Amino acid sequence: MSKPKIGIFSLTCCEGCQLEILNCEDELLDIVGAVDIISFGMAQSNNLDIDLDIAFVEGTVTLEKEIEILKGIRKKAGLLIAIGACATYGGVAAIDYERDREELKEIVYGKAGAFIPSVTPSPLHKHVKVDFALHGCPIEKSQFLKAVGQLLHGDLPLFPDYPVCSECKRKENECVLIHHNVPCLGPITSAGCDARCPTHYLGCDSCFGPIDEANVAMEYNILKEKGVAEDEIARMMQVFSPTAEIIENQFKDKK
Amino acid sequence: MANKTIKVDHLYRVEGHGGIRVELDGKKLLDVKMEIFEGSRFFEALIRGRHYKDVPMIMCRICAICSASHRLVAIRAVEKAIGLEVSKQTKLLRELLILGETIESHTLHLFCLAAPDFLGFPGVAAMADRHGAVVRMGLGLKKLGNSIQEIVGGRKIHQVNAEVGGFGKVPEKAELLALRSDLEAKIPDTLETLSFIENISKENINASPSIFSALDDGSDNYRYQGDNILVSTGDTLPIEKYKELCNEFVVSHSHAKHSLYKEKPFMVGALARLYLHRHKLSGKAGKEMKRLEPAFDPDNILWNNLGQAIEVLQSFERAIEVIDQIMADGYKEEELARPGKLTGGSGAAGTEAPRGTLYHSYTVDDKGIVTDADVITPTAINLENMEKDIRAATHIAIDESEEKLKLQLEKVARAYDPCISCSVHIVDIRKSK
Repeated sequence: MSKPKIGIFSLTCCEGCQLEILNCEDELLDIVGAVDIISFGMAQSNNLDIDLDIAFVEGTVTLEKEIEILKGIRKKAGLLIAIGACATYGGVAAIDYERDREELKEIVYGKAGAFIPSVTPSPLHKHVKVDFALHGCPIEKSQFLKAVGQLLHGDLPLFPDYPVCSECKRKENECVLIHHNVPCLGPITSAGCDARCPTHYLGCDSCFGPIDEANVAMEYNILKEKGVAEDEIARMMQVFSPTAEIIENQFKDKK
Repeated sequence: MANKTIKVDHLYRVEGHGGIRVELDGKKLLDVKMEIFEGSRFFEALIRGRHYKDVPMIMCRICAICSASHRLVAIRAVEKAIGLEVSKQTKLLRELLILGETIESHTLHLFCLAAPDFLGFPGVAAMADRHGAVVRMGLGLKKLGNSIQEIVGGRKIHQVNAEVGGFGKVPEKAELLALRSDLEAKIPDTLETLSFIENISKENINASPSIFSALDDGSDNYRYQGDNILVSTGDTLPIEKYKELCNEFVVSHSHAKHSLYKEKPFMVGALARLYLHRHKLSGKAGKEMKRLEPAFDPDNILWNNLGQAIEVLQSFERAIEVIDQIMADGYKEEELARPGKLTGGSGAAGTEAPRGTLYHSYTVDDKGIVTDADVITPTAINLENMEKDIRAATHIAIDESEEKLKLQLEKVARAYDPCISCSVHIVDIRKSK
């Protein structure tokens, strides 16, 4: 049986999800032995434009031409997997996605930068069918390895459908939100990072994005009780997943 | 003879999306461009209107490979703007985090991105078939750099633990001591890395002199922080005047602004640091530099690779010293330092990121809200110098086949260890006339 053909692609982003794959120092050579890496811009120069079994795509669409690139990847890939907050929800590039691009451009580049193209940042699923997503900013190596392992056995990986709070409880962390009044988005955020921020006595900033059926209204009330201003709560929730409908709808009228 | 264009459409094995374009008329070189077409994310605009506490979390996302540098330089600029002092232990832990990043980034570049060109492979995976032991050694060093970032920063990329005022949680004493013995054990591998890079860096690829710039902390030590900017022309500037050094301008073939100092391109990075500070190297790194001194050639950009290899060794030795210093001072668990009453202010800070000097500056009002922000990244500074060196390398290799010529140009670009995602966000916030 021939080895599965894999491509790792990047749209506009910090390339941290590709880097996290290269951070699998102990496993990298085994992965390379188990699959055929057809395209991986950060790691190799012999990249081919051929059909793939699996495409991993990081980054946000911020250019017209990236829509075409993404459609091209979709056409040649059996499975298309979004990796990271940018690909899944737009990520930090999309924080101000409702603002006029020309205005942002002028602040950064001045009038001389008018030629620079830019479209409203959007996640992959706004343009193509995404088969599933690995969350996080960046993704976690453990989840990537689990996904590759399960895909090689013909299964779709299953990931936690519980919040960061469950990971905190498992680690016996004292709750930073309830006991220390640190604004924390753990209750509405998808687990998978092993509660990195609360373990460091810091509030979760929700880089894994919202959990399904997140009780955003309750989180909002708790943060308000803790003295966080309304507009500050809206800003906190829209850093990594600004286009997530579950949050977007609740803040539409508050912004 | 007809005009000819040599194009590297997508420069692979670098961070980000860019290409090289060289226009020739027969053997006459008409034009050289580094084309940067990565999408823009407008960080300097996005951060305005947010509280300063969000600055590290958001601004570190400019880049993954140098996220620790972005995060820490942003933190230091904010601390200057709000007048917050941090403890000596915090400063030492921050230095340790930067050393971890330097080790990770340099070994990633040397083994996975640069070396395959010199050994004739498309990438590190293919290289591992023939040079398995070397690749494993390199990945082992890279992993240790990541362990430092994980233990001190709380994550390998986008280190959550480093915040304004210090660290959320001070790394545990036992973890720091374990790190120390891992570092000690791998020093022989850093020496072997240096001789490996020495062996593959024999050619003089561009033979072109550059102006260099790096930060200086005023001490006799080889450091990655400092509040003075040194230029090889003999000039020095205080960090607050970094915009006078960089003079950014917009060019039509790039989404990154270019920089000129007194109308000349200049270079930042390991080679610039070596040029300006190599006499400060101590320990084994100092000894190795002395051995290499007769061959030292700052006009050859491949010395940036060698400079990185020396810095890997230096970073190992310094990381051990830093851990020893923390223990000697009496390791303590500390909470984040809190600022007094906010009055509003501005702060500029710089750091030597793995690929060169990185500048951030912020203005924060009396409510803690960011009203102005500016970032200049090393790759943006280097773009103009990179074009100069690609021009020089083209002259040298002009009689070679197109394939060989392209490879030489790619070697030059890769030697800079460019970080293209970063470079797109560099930008001067002053509106142009």
